[in-house]
Amino acid sequence: MDSEGLSALPPDGPRKSPHRVRTISVNSMRSIPAIAALRSHSEYERPEILAPTPRQAVVGNRHLLENSATWVNLRHSDSPESSRAVSPTSPGRRFSSLSGHPVRFPTTLSSLQETEHAAGAPPDRGPEQAMARRWIRWMHKRGMKGWVVPSALLASTCVKVCVSLGSYSGEGIPPMFGDYEAQRHWMELTIHLPIRRWYTYDTHYWGLDYPPLTAYVSWLCGVVGHWLEPSWVALDTSRGIETEGSKIFMRSTVIILDALIYVPALLMFTRIWQGSRSKRTQNLALVTLLLQPALLLVDFGHFQYNSVMLGFALLAINLFALGQDLAGAVCFVLSLGFKQMALYYSPAIGGYLIAKCIYLGFPNGGKLFLRLALVTSMSFLVLFLPFLPPFAPISSIFDPMTRIFPFGRGLFEDKVANFWCASNVVFKWRKWASSAFLVKLSAALTALGFLPTVLVSLRVAWQTQLIAPRQGGSTLHIPVLPLLPYALLTSSMSFFLFSFQVHEKTILLPLLPITLLLSGAPMDSTVFGWGVLANNVAVFSMWPLLKREGLGVQYIALTILWNRLLGYNPFRLPSKSFIQLLSLGVYAAGLGLHILELLILPPGRYPDMFAVLNVLISTPVFCLVWLWSIKCGVEMTWALGGLGNVSPRHTRTSLVGDDEKPFESATSSIGPGQGRRRAPFDFEQDLTTDQT
Amino acid sequence: MEAADSTAKPVRRVPSGTLKPTTTGLPCTVWRKNWLRLEIESSEYDLLFLSTCLKLLLFPAYRSTDFEVHRNWLAITHSLPISRWYYDTTSEWTLDYPPFFAYFEKLLSIPASFVDPKIVDLNNLNYDAWSAIAYQRTTVILSELVLGAVLLRFIRGSVDPSTQRIISASLFLHPGFLIVDHIHFQYNGFMFGILLWSILMARNGNKLASGILFAVLLNFKHIYMYLAPAYFIYLLRSFCISPSGKLEIKNFLSLANAVIAVFIVSFGPFIVMGQIPQVLSRLFPFTRGLNHAYWAPNAWALVTAADRVLLRYASRSGAGLDINISGLASTSRGLVGDTVFAVLPNIKPVHTFIATLAFQSIALVKLWFTPTYKSFLTALTLCGYASYLFGWHVHEKAILLVLVPLSLLAAERHAYFRTFIIASVAGIFSLFPLIFTPGESIFKVIYSSLWILFVYVPLTRRVYEFPRSPAFAIIDTLEKIYLAGFPLLQVFVTLFPVLVARRQVPVAADICVASPNFTCPEPALHPEGVTAMEFLPLMLTSVYCAVGLIWGFCRLMFVYLNEESTYQGPLSRI
Repeated sequence: MDSEGLSALPPDGPRKSPHRVRTISVNSMRSIPAIAALRSHSEYERPEILAPTPRQAVVGNRHLLENSATWVNLRHSDSPESSRAVSPTSPGRRFSSLSGHPVRFPTTLSSLQETEHAAGAPPDRGPEQAMARRWIRWMHKRGMKGWVVPSALLASTCVKVCVSLGSYSGEGIPPMFGDYEAQRHWMELTIHLPIRRWYTYDTHYWGLDYPPLTAYVSWLCGVVGHWLEPSWVALDTSRGIETEGSKIFMRSTVIILDALIYVPALLMFTRIWQGSRSKRTQNLALVTLLLQPALLLVDFGHFQYNSVMLGFALLAINLFALGQDLAGAVCFVLSLGFKQMALYYSPAIGGYLIAKCIYLGFPNGGKLFLRLALVTSMSFLVLFLPFLPPFAPISSIFDPMTRIFPFGRGLFEDKVANFWCASNVVFKWRKWASSAFLVKLSAALTALGFLPTVLVSLRVAWQTQLIAPRQGGSTLHIPVLPLLPYALLTSSMSFFLFSFQVHEKTILLPLLPITLLLSGAPMDSTVFGWGVLANNVAVFSMWPLLKREGLGVQYIALTILWNRLLGYNPFRLPSKSFIQLLSLGVYAAGLGLHILELLILPPGRYPDMFAVLNVLISTPVFCLVWLWSIKCGVEMTWALGGLGNVSPRHTRTSLVGDDEKPFESATSSIGPGQGRRRAPFDFEQDLTTDQT
Repeated sequence: MEAADSTAKPVRRVPSGTLKPTTTGLPCTVWRKNWLRLEIESSEYDLLFLSTCLKLLLFPAYRSTDFEVHRNWLAITHSLPISRWYYDTTSEWTLDYPPFFAYFEKLLSIPASFVDPKIVDLNNLNYDAWSAIAYQRTTVILSELVLGAVLLRFIRGSVDPSTQRIISASLFLHPGFLIVDHIHFQYNGFMFGILLWSILMARNGNKLASGILFAVLLNFKHIYMYLAPAYFIYLLRSFCISPSGKLEIKNFLSLANAVIAVFIVSFGPFIVMGQIPQVLSRLFPFTRGLNHAYWAPNAWALVTAADRVLLRYASRSGAGLDINISGLASTSRGLVGDTVFAVLPNIKPVHTFIATLAFQSIALVKLWFTPTYKSFLTALTLCGYASYLFGWHVHEKAILLVLVPLSLLAAERHAYFRTFIIASVAGIFSLFPLIFTPGESIFKVIYSSLWILFVYVPLTRRVYEFPRSPAFAIIDTLEKIYLAGFPLLQVFVTLFPVLVARRQVPVAADICVASPNFTCPEPALHPEGVTAMEFLPLMLTSVYCAVGLIWGFCRLMFVYLNEESTYQGPLSRI
């Protein structure tokens, strides 16, 4: 992975720069080409695609188009070229996704992808397999392609409204009611009390135990609610209010906040992370993400505002992909400030940012690090400002802190499909160890759980570090970026499995990255298999909760609808692969459990039998997802950073001559500073699809 | 939706014999085999999944008293002997559908008694446990499969399957069915399935079956009598009389006997028990007013509105108009009861009857001379349309009788398509007041907009014709302006109660939104200004929709009477 590696790369054109060899082109710093043209990268091995003339022509066009493909200006479908119905894998599409920039790749990836190609032609993903694909195809055919996104958004809103018609957590169950009442109570509490009493007021009745942003948002909702109808949020007297109007009001706050934060974040995600895929694939991903059943059930059925937290986290990820690290960091702080559960992501996010600093090398990386530290701490400061000295005595900061991190509670509550609850069946943790010890143990295990992914990111950054950094480094994509979704999955899943005081709803956090991954994956890939399995099992793991809250019909309807939309069929996964066998086994067990539950009552000795069986089915799957994500992360590290000094130079030297000219001409025609942004997912898909 | 049609087109023509009009006795085995063969494409399964999931999600939605009506009928048919069905008055919701529907309820009540015996308990009034809701909603979904199956058969034998697939899908996912059946609660999907089956049989040339099915349908719900004249003329002219004008005795007798047999099966037990007068008095209660509580947007709604306006004008200006004092009281603020006009002369049932028949006969005369399938379909639509516009005590739900057959004509040519769009938009909008709870209201608006979008864009590309004269261009523009008014109207209807509520703070909490059964508190509590305005949104909806629906009627009638005989649309080939 050094000078031989370079010689295997396509040459750099006129702006060859003297930098260390194992890096991505430094040139790219000026023209933001980014790492991940890796899908197209695989095309280097295809002589017919590298024929000079057409490339130049297309490059000119594509470049102009893609230049606007950032989130700022999402529409670039007006051109007949990009709007043409090309399936994502077709050679033409792959070809056009090549920008003419001197993009450099570590050679090892090419060797990985070589094997991938050797494995066979990309499978035919005809549009006939999934409902969402068929629908998008129909829309295009009928001249409604401009309507795909608006109607998808409207239809998903429609579904959300329908789910909202159902019952919610704690409906009609005095005296404590449920999460719905907690959220409503916070509105009542924040608008009627001074800020300093927010975290201390009657903590036995749903005291505020989320970070300040939730409180501020509650305050805003409360103000609107008070303006509409004061009795909905009257202090104390409104406890447990369940009038039609108040229900509609509460439900609409979720839908509106979701539409304001989460939905744009999803849209942005499909446009940025899958920017080089076809419009259809992006829209397909959007539909997949919009109708993810677990989130719909929890937010619009059970009643919570998870989509706000997830939306902010997703915005942060999107901004990282755009190179806007500081804005991304602020978004992540907002996410943390809305719900402390976002902490599950923090090892991955922190790992990414540090890795980027390392990657940028000493002066730039150091500067970025300082800026990040400053911005992050400033945003926290602003969030907690009302609880800090000029406005309040220093001691008052402890009120929110003790409320937000309730170490006083048990290891786990209820039945949740994580390591502690599942192992509790055979090993009674709470009898065996003290609570304090268990806190430490769980913290250690959690750290152990996410450590691999952090290390992996840092290693990649170190290996690909820039030696001769240039200006403007912070807008550059770094090789660690494609690792980010896997890192998020690993760290959030390890938190879910091993940390203290986990709720079953928290599975939404690991679900976000895995759904992001699956949203662009081909239907017969392992990523797809794992993603859908994780989603289905997650919904299944919430079944006891949903059943208790009368959301059984919604559970069935949404799960079926989503699976149908994706065209998911475990039998179509790679035949006899581990994931196929696992999926079939898990579905059989889950279905069996449901049938059993319908037919018989639990024996008196074990009233929780079905919930425990549910946990015992779900937990192994989550553990496997966690291990799988680590595996993917490590594999990707090999791809990005190399296994060491192994350099498969022979796979490519023959092509160098061919590449030279087109690259030169392309670059010169484009000029500096206009690179298109690449979609990090491209290669990731290829990689994991066939690697695992 | 029909994504697969390009690949499937060659195969699609399969059902042989369905297209060819075989005059008598289409070999029974052939069509039975076709019916049983499940050649459903994945895109069609998609729609089934989608609609079923949506309907499942609507389980907890608002339901009107019709839910209790049908539950009560389950109880009546389950726990009483047949001789008491039409006599029982335990609940105020007595059985007032024809016998086939009662038998249908009897059938449904058998599983119901296993699901939850309390559902079929006669004295368990207003029972709405989750089991009852889930069971009854499920029966609606399952019975609607009849509609789905028939619509599939429509695609199979059609001249242009890809367009027919859009039309079929639009009918299966029709917002009208979703609003009326799956939220409000009725079994229209199932019965319109039978109606469409009958129409399908007419298309396939099996007129005997068509007649029998229509007779069956009449015995499920007698409101389909609105359509009966068209059936009568069509079957008489094209089945019982040969093109040369000779009476086909054999056909005539077989049809007559079959129809009589259907009625005997249906009413037989009641004839034997001598209960016919009682049954009929239940089926045709002539004690209701001209308008339903919320004025169905028909001609009488316009007349009533005109009366209200004149009354206002008279009381303001003191113009010398004769004011009927009883009309002052019955200002039809949306309350049930007889409508008495204050200024205009009162309308009697016989007037509505004559008006209906007069308008129907125009279409029927044309049908008599051109008894083709397309002509039949248009006349059928016009028949239902005329009954809807001029009938006595019409329910807004009856608009489905117009919209469903009209949908089949939608892709015929631009003139039909435009009529279809105007009537559909106005008709569906006129159903909106049935659903007044806020959550469901958001749903109905979004869903209907999506439906219109998915129907309008693909079909308009298929049938578009450039306006050929300045008059057409002006009409075209006016129609577009009219359609553009609906979003504004919706905004007004949504915001008006809120604004009134905010202005009148003391009565804010109990501003009454009209409900289908209109159990609004008496307006005596309210200051006068509020009550006068309270039903303004409903009135406006009614009047605005009525304008569009009446215009649609005139349009369709004009097109029907004036269409060049040389024009060959897709349906002319049948």
